[in-house]
Amino acid sequence: MSATYILFWFLSALAVVSALMVLFSKNPVHSVLWLIAVFFAISGHYILMNAQFLAIVNIIVYAGAIMVLFLFVIMLMNLNKETEPRKNIWMKLAGAIAAGSLLMILVSLVGQATELSHRNLLMKDGDIGLIKNLGKILFSQYVVPFEITSILFLSAMVGAVVIGKKD
Amino acid sequence: MQTNYFILMHHELIIAITIMLLLVIKVGSDKLSNQLVANVTNGLLLASLVLGFIVQPEGNVFGDMFHTDGFALLQKNILVAGTLIISLQASTWLKDYEHTAEFYILLLSTLLGMCFMISSRHFLMFYLSLELSTIPLAALANFDLHLKRSSEAALKLIISSAFSSGLMLLGISFLYGTTGTLSFGEVASAIQLNTPLQLFAFVLIFAGFGFKISAVPFHLWTADVYEGSPVAVTSYLSVISKGAVLFVFITVLFNVFALYAHSWYYLIVIVSLFTMVIGNLFALRQTNIKRFLAFSSISQVGFILIGLSGGTHTSAASVVYFIVVYIFSNLGAFGVIALVQGLTGKENINDYKGFYLNNKMLSWMLGIALFSLAGIPPVAGFFGKFFLLLSGAEKGAYWLIAIAAINMVISLYYYLNVVKNIFIDKSDTSIEKLPIAIQPRIAMIICVIGVVGSGLCGGLYQYIFDLVK
Amino acid sequence: MISFEHITKWLQAWLNAHMSPILVLAVETVLIVILAIALFAVLGLVLVIMERRVAAFMQIRMGPNRVGPWGLLQSTADTVKLIMKESIVPTHADKFLFNLAPFIVMIAAMLILAPVNFAQRFHIWDLNIGILFITSISSISVIGILMGGWASSNKYSLLGAMRSGAQIVSYELSAGLSILTIIVLCGSLKVSDIIASQETGWWIFKGHIPAIVAFVIYLIAVTAETNRAPFDLAEAESELTAGFHSEYSGMRFALFFLAEYINIFIVCAVGATLFLGGWMPFHIGHLQGFNHVMDYIPSSIWFFGKTFFLIFVIMWFRWTFPRLRIDQLLNLEWKYLLPISMVNLLVMTVVAIYHLHF
Repeated sequence: MSATYILFWFLSALAVVSALMVLFSKNPVHSVLWLIAVFFAISGHYILMNAQFLAIVNIIVYAGAIMVLFLFVIMLMNLNKETEPRKNIWMKLAGAIAAGSLLMILVSLVGQATELSHRNLLMKDGDIGLIKNLGKILFSQYVVPFEITSILFLSAMVGAVVIGKKD
Repeated sequence: MQTNYFILMHHELIIAITIMLLLVIKVGSDKLSNQLVANVTNGLLLASLVLGFIVQPEGNVFGDMFHTDGFALLQKNILVAGTLIISLQASTWLKDYEHTAEFYILLLSTLLGMCFMISSRHFLMFYLSLELSTIPLAALANFDLHLKRSSEAALKLIISSAFSSGLMLLGISFLYGTTGTLSFGEVASAIQLNTPLQLFAFVLIFAGFGFKISAVPFHLWTADVYEGSPVAVTSYLSVISKGAVLFVFITVLFNVFALYAHSWYYLIVIVSLFTMVIGNLFALRQTNIKRFLAFSSISQVGFILIGLSGGTHTSAASVVYFIVVYIFSNLGAFGVIALVQGLTGKENINDYKGFYLNNKMLSWMLGIALFSLAGIPPVAGFFGKFFLLLSGAEKGAYWLIAIAAINMVISLYYYLNVVKNIFIDKSDTSIEKLPIAIQPRIAMIICVIGVVGSGLCGGLYQYIFDLVK
Repeated sequence: MISFEHITKWLQAWLNAHMSPILVLAVETVLIVILAIALFAVLGLVLVIMERRVAAFMQIRMGPNRVGPWGLLQSTADTVKLIMKESIVPTHADKFLFNLAPFIVMIAAMLILAPVNFAQRFHIWDLNIGILFITSISSISVIGILMGGWASSNKYSLLGAMRSGAQIVSYELSAGLSILTIIVLCGSLKVSDIIASQETGWWIFKGHIPAIVAFVIYLIAVTAETNRAPFDLAEAESELTAGFHSEYSGMRFALFFLAEYINIFIVCAVGATLFLGGWMPFHIGHLQGFNHVMDYIPSSIWFFGKTFFLIFVIMWFRWTFPRLRIDQLLNLEWKYLLPISMVNLLVMTVVAIYHLHF
């Protein structure tokens, strides 16, 4: 067990537990904060793969910007236990059964997937996540998707402005 | 080499330039006439369409990211033509609307996304352009800004599309995990039979597609969204965006998952059966004409899926042919509904009683469109469905064709019910004679010519069939 | 000549000679932690007294002058008072988050220290995306502030936290863009590379007008990002009592207070690194004699001198400009600073591509 292994398991456990806490927290603000913890754990995974740039960008974009906006909205809405709509018990049961079956299928499929069994994660010495390589590949091979993303953001912004200026 | 890029991507470039132009116009001046914006956009769309028929390049740029050939160009031309018709029809609504430029910016962004989606041969590119073609649509669905149901429609659309994209993304990541590549060609050659994880990935991707084309277990968002959105957006959603996704669906099914043809055949047959039956049964009891068309469009998707189940060149050609016909007939119907709703605000089927009395031309238009949707022989809808069922029968599932035929009969009932309302029923409060502006008039004439002409002109199907090969 | 570099090298060699590698790592970690905390404490004390003396100077009054020689022990006495005070938690507060918030702000401030080069080859972790690391971690402190403001269950705190969050998130953009402007010139995100690229002259002199524009924008943006006057809307006393930390008292309050000053130090240190050459001495062209004299001044003095000069400038702002309204603040960022810094970045890119800089 090297340090990388220990860190891997620790981060994975942290990510899963935090993700579960996102779901189980009664208070939406707590959920958002747990979600931030999930993003940190994932950033940790990126660092283990030597993708430092991705890790940092993950923190800037998700923890620093998107989650802050989430917090803004949720804090201003002042949601709490009383405002939560009561769901039908049968609906809950059906949801639990459906999601549970999906999880079971997923676990068993991944378990018996022979094509995954001999693949190793490139730890520590992979260099695709470094900013130089990422920049090069982003602006050569993947330049069309990159530009499409910018148009997507532009149009989303236009739409948000129109809807937001309603009054 | 440099010019090659521009020629290969000419559809996308013209649309992108139009978007940028509209943005600059909007930012540059506060007071600009809506008519000008609409005319500029329509002109550029028309230019793109004409260019699309004249310049027919073939080839790849940026690796697998962008591929174009005659078939892809045909699909793009169909979508651009449909958008042009919708834009003409919407001019009554847009004349006094305060966000016309934004409406076109968002509409064209989605069109751009669809064009890229059709040309993509890479899952990343496909996913991003799919997002580009759905997210602005959610904003568009909210463009009846003062209506609460419009906001509701937008929210339902964005949530269901986000969920379906999530499913699809999970599927794509499993595919990437098992094959190590995202390019369509390489995935197709790396896929193996009897690998459960890849099959699961396919199921997830299929579910994502199911949401986008509103096939039955995934159709629940359709009616509310169609009812709440502005009519122009509804027609766009029901025709153009559905058509684009179906075009890509053909590519993904026939090229990427060709090896799984045996598995997805049953999947598609079952889904198409449910889609037809449930779409029809719900369409029977609708009173709102937009909801009615929503469910009828669901059942049409069922027929399209039957055509897809054939899995050959014939079925690809028949689906594309049907979409052409479907665009003309559905847009014809929506054009009339848009006019009626825009001028009188009425959108119940009962409001159309005695419609023929004052509005002869509109009634005939709506009548022909509904006949075509129902698949009654002289108009094109019949040939469309005929080819679909023919290609579905190639696998020898005649019981499927029988059920489809029964469903056609059921659908005949409710389509003719509307026709009866228009032509035969009398009403004291029938709709007055509506003035028709020049743009919707042009759009309607195009639709009528399309509905009648694409049926009578036998060369069209042959043309598509040749392109598919 | 004794420098920090020599001390660290000698310590490293000595430790390696006497212990196993893992133990060396552990000892060094402990040393670094102790040093960082010591730096925090000293900085807090120095900056608070400096702020009060600068304020007094600007307003032509004496400032603290009773405790210790020239009043220098005033902030020490204040610290002792804060430690002794009872730390009150409001009844309806979310206890856990209320307690957690000051620590998150503090930890974020501490983490940012890692890539800062305090002197020639004297730093904690010179990672290859150092500057980006700083910008990303500094955005974490927003979460702490929002957490504290919300958990206090006080409307003034919440409003203060919201204002602060909106302010930090928006001003981060132009601060980031002006940092990028210099990154374009250096071609590296590594702090030591950035400093090394300024050996022949600081970027503010070499980089033409875009560098000066970027410097000005950076100063404005970081002043706003640290919630200081004239951008101190988050704790505008006349409107919101004390903003997000209204309900905090005792040591918890002290942590927020300390983190605020540490953040000022760090943004000024980054500014000094990017624009004023970090620990690089001041050189003029080919004046060999002058340059040699400048080289004799230790690198740590250069670094801290520049940093404290920038801190002084920011304190100067406080007593010079009236406070902005929230709408003016957001207009300033989104309508003026952001477009200007985007254009500026483009101009700088042209400069860098055609090597128009000196």
